Amino acid sequence: MLIWLHEAVHQIYFILAAVFALLLLRGLFKRKTRTNWVYDIIYAYTLIPFLLRALHIK
Amino acid sequence: MNNVFLRRLIILIVVLIVAFLGGREFWEIRHFKQSIVVSEDFTKKVMLSDYFEGIKGTWVDTPVYIYDSGNPGGSLLWLGGTHPYEPGAILPAYVAAENLKITKGKIFLIPVANRSAWTMGDYGMGYPKYFSLEANWGEKKFRIGARNSNQLDQWPDPFTYVHYPSRQNLAYQDIRNLNRTYPGYASGTLTERLAYAIMELTRQEDIDLFVDMHEASLMYPVVSTYVAHQDAEDIAMMAGMNLSAEQFPMKSESSPKSLRGLSHREVGDYSDALVVLMETAEPFIDRVAGKMTEELMIEGKDEFLQKAAEENLLYCDPEYDIEFGKPMWYRVGRHLSGTMEVIKQMGEFYPDKQMEVEFPLFFDLEEHGIMHFLHDPETADTDRLFYQ
Repeated sequence: MLIWLHEAVHQIYFILAAVFALLLLRGLFKRKTRTNWVYDIIYAYTLIPFLLRALHIK
Repeated sequence: MNNVFLRRLIILIVVLIVAFLGGREFWEIRHFKQSIVVSEDFTKKVMLSDYFEGIKGTWVDTPVYIYDSGNPGGSLLWLGGTHPYEPGAILPAYVAAENLKITKGKIFLIPVANRSAWTMGDYGMGYPKYFSLEANWGEKKFRIGARNSNQLDQWPDPFTYVHYPSRQNLAYQDIRNLNRTYPGYASGTLTERLAYAIMELTRQEDIDLFVDMHEASLMYPVVSTYVAHQDAEDIAMMAGMNLSAEQFPMKSESSPKSLRGLSHREVGDYSDALVVLMETAEPFIDRVAGKMTEELMIEGKDEFLQKAAEENLLYCDPEYDIEFGKPMWYRVGRHLSGTMEVIKQMGEFYPDKQMEVEFPLFFDLEEHGIMHFLHDPETADTDRLFYQ
């Protein structure tokens, strides 16, 4: 049971990483404030750690 | 398609290309395989999960190479790679695996005890991913791992790690540190289960001697040292004296009873094995060292460490000298001779636990280097070739 709980919490973190990646992706294309291109780069590159974590790469 | 959307799309594509290039490197490191050409006295390979199902199919399940003479005698569980960012504690296991001869007793060899920690590196500290050594048959690449289990396999860390079963509070990240999770917990986190599996091997195989190889920073007092559980104090002290007289300076210390989770404390308390941990000097771990390069890993020469030595800030014995450094052959040789000496001393103190084994030692490595004793996987007999 405890092992199962550990695994469940662990997998939730991967799911959260994927959710944050999707939120950032939406923010990149749909945001209404801070529309400057510098923020485009910030939204885009902050995707990387969430994407790599969600894909079980890093 | 408006200009803003197009601009954002181009930026996203560029970032995805960067993510792909970086991700490919991380993936390659995680899936890197190391070859081992086992010696003729090799008996069989099993997986650690054969002793405890709770790690089967996980990234901490690791190969155990068994060398059984068939003759009664002592048994040794020999661990390398408890902390895979200490490659000088993994290479001795490769050298032994490829050259071991045994006529009395039995050896269980685990070259990489924490395989999960071996699947990533310490890139935040600027560590290189690999280092290479030259042999007369070519170059062999070795991965430099990390200290703790990979977060891909065990995450999140708690705010405070409460050690089982002592309830002692330890640093949060140490819940992924194999050498803070002994004696393990069958229903615990992945690293606790790994420690439990190693304990199960020790108990089920009735291991007499447990040797855990490590490397330490030169500024850490417990460097160039045996750390022994109180039951193994005699053999470690005698081994240290013999080594200091005949080969290289080796200190000996007793395992503190209040420091929980470490192999030299818990394995000794929770099994009948005589437990010894060995530390050799790895300049990479010192935070005062300069640029983290392959050369530093192999040669151990660093001007900042030299300055620290001149200021009497280092504990390694013999004293640090940049002319010599702390080369890999020296660190590997220390572990090989250090292990051989405790095997001999166990036989002296407990004749029923005598073992007759041979593998390259300190002076052999000084004369021939490490790669003289590692074999070309391309030309090896496939029955003796393993990738892990």
